[in-house]
Amino acid sequence: MASSKPSLASLRTSTSSPVPIPSPNVLPVMLSSKLLPEMEAEDNLKREQLLLGLQNLPIPAQIEKLKTRIDMIAAACESAEKVIADTRKAYGLGSRQGPAIVPTLDKVQAAKIQEQENLLRAAVNFGEGLRIPGDQRHVSSALPMHLVDVLSFGDGTQNFADNSGAYPKNTPSSMPSGNINPQGSTLQAPGAPLIARSVPSPSAISGSTSFDNASTPPLPYANSPRPGTSMMNTPSPQQQAQQQQQQQQQRQKMMQLPQQQQQQQLLAQQQLRQSSTPGGLGQNSVQQLQDLQGQSQQKFQQVHGQHQMQYSQSLGHQQFSNRQLQTSHMQHNMGQNQLGQGNQLRSHLGQFGGTANSALFNAAQTSPNSQMISNMSATMSSQTLLPRVQFGLSGGHSQRSHASQILSDQMFNMGAANTANMVQMQQQQHGQQGGFGNMQTNTQNLQSGMVALQSTQNPNYPQQRQQNQQ
Amino acid sequence: MECVVQGIIETQHVEALEILLQGLCGVSKERLRIHELCLKSGPNLGAVASEVRLLCDLEQPVPTWTVRHVGGAMRGAGAEQISVLVRTMVESKVSKNVLRFFYALGYKLDHELLRVGFSFYFQRGARITITVTSANKMLKLHATEEAVPVTPGIQLVEVTAPAAADNYNEVAAAVSSFCEYLAPLLHLSKPGVSTGIVPTAAAAAASLMSNGGGKQL
Repeated sequence: MASSKPSLASLRTSTSSPVPIPSPNVLPVMLSSKLLPEMEAEDNLKREQLLLGLQNLPIPAQIEKLKTRIDMIAAACESAEKVIADTRKAYGLGSRQGPAIVPTLDKVQAAKIQEQENLLRAAVNFGEGLRIPGDQRHVSSALPMHLVDVLSFGDGTQNFADNSGAYPKNTPSSMPSGNINPQGSTLQAPGAPLIARSVPSPSAISGSTSFDNASTPPLPYANSPRPGTSMMNTPSPQQQAQQQQQQQQQRQKMMQLPQQQQQQQLLAQQQLRQSSTPGGLGQNSVQQLQDLQGQSQQKFQQVHGQHQMQYSQSLGHQQFSNRQLQTSHMQHNMGQNQLGQGNQLRSHLGQFGGTANSALFNAAQTSPNSQMISNMSATMSSQTLLPRVQFGLSGGHSQRSHASQILSDQMFNMGAANTANMVQMQQQQHGQQGGFGNMQTNTQNLQSGMVALQSTQNPNYPQQRQQNQQ
Repeated sequence: MECVVQGIIETQHVEALEILLQGLCGVSKERLRIHELCLKSGPNLGAVASEVRLLCDLEQPVPTWTVRHVGGAMRGAGAEQISVLVRTMVESKVSKNVLRFFYALGYKLDHELLRVGFSFYFQRGARITITVTSANKMLKLHATEEAVPVTPGIQLVEVTAPAAADNYNEVAAAVSSFCEYLAPLLHLSKPGVSTGIVPTAAAAAASLMSNGGGKQL
């Protein structure tokens, strides 16, 4: 019976006589207590309508009549509701109370999507699942267009975050292979961090190598004739052993893609080298050379880089070993950082360039040998700038004492023109010992190998190199 | 600084989302094909590795390069109340030598990603960029032609807007309100917070794709 509270707007519109508008504070109170004259009049009107015909009856009778009215209305409502429900069912409209049924995913599908979502978010935000392991990080044959001119040959593969070596130096920007620089700068770094790189190392490195001097003395220089007299010109056994060790190490590193075992081997190799004093000249080197040969060949097969394959296959065993020894002469852990990264260019260069570089190093380290020097110069002239790469690769190797300067000089030459390299190589000529001593091959093989080396150069090599060659 | 939220959408609904965005933004979409190289600094540059992203836009006739550094996100109670992630970000156009430059500095490639999709721009309170891309990984180094999607069935939607220290609240509010427009199709959240897909996405996509649009009773 109570009339609904009229809104202020309805108050204004429905009243015939102007109703004074109460203040905002008073209005709610008046509304609730129905004190507004408007409301009162409305109330009276409605009461009259309801009690039409019942005003004259006594109160209890009026109550009874009103009750029956209420009951009738209730019954009507119920029946109406029933009809509505029946109609809803008939039309399939669903119950009124429940919300629209939300399509739910089954648990399996939801879980799959959740998993995919996590993968995607992790990949985009953190790069998880996108990192290529180090041994697969080599530039594929075809660089996309936007990277072809950006990355010089072998640049892209060098810098991978998974290499934990320390790179103290930055190479000058003029150097074509910029990646080499950081690694080459490890001159100052101790050997240990360098070793952390995955660099192939000779599998068998033993400090004590039994070498039968009488039978086949190792050649100190690749180009020098075989007689054992050449050994006299070699530097002290320790030095030579070190050189040989380093050569081997370098060779291996350069040739192979980085591998963890190699790193450890290299480390072991280095450690052995440092501590061991080989009894005979070239004993260690010879043994290592043999090991390296085997290793390098095996590893060569693994290498699937374009450059490497091209030239490794063309080389014979001995040639291969010769080259390796020479390159390993570089000593520093060249391969450690860079080879580990699978820089094809590097390894490629290392293989080729080793001969020239190693020859120079050897010459520089040992007492001058006229034969050697002449050989060296012959070697050098025939070689191109390939050795440049080696310089860079050989990172700071703490083992080197006298060679460190040479190496650093060479490294800085990496970006330099060919002439500069040549000059440097020449400077070292006199001092070097026959680093070739590791090779057991005869001179002929070495020479032919070197020639073959040049001829099989990778055409992908930067143009500069090709200019120098032959 | 930037405000950023991310969400996922099933690939089958991407077209519907494009229609919705087209309607909201009024401009046509821009194709995206970005080769993203993420570089991490080497040990020679400090004890804490820093990360930069090089973005190469391959859709342009001449690929353009951008360098981008994303910093830490805002943290604290106030940040938690904001529904978007606010973080420092520095971006700049660079020449194509940027990759060699960073390599020379000592940075190394950590990972790379190819993002293919489209983007829209929306201006209301802030310049909002919406990108819908599929993330593709390259099995071989730098082989962008042979990239495969990381998750073929799901694409990533990212809504970003540049902000400054004094207006990030307004920008965050603008981004949030824009995200509500996309609610029928996807939910967006701070990067790192997973959302799942929206159950009404299928129905919303169907209605967007149908010619009649909304149904009239």
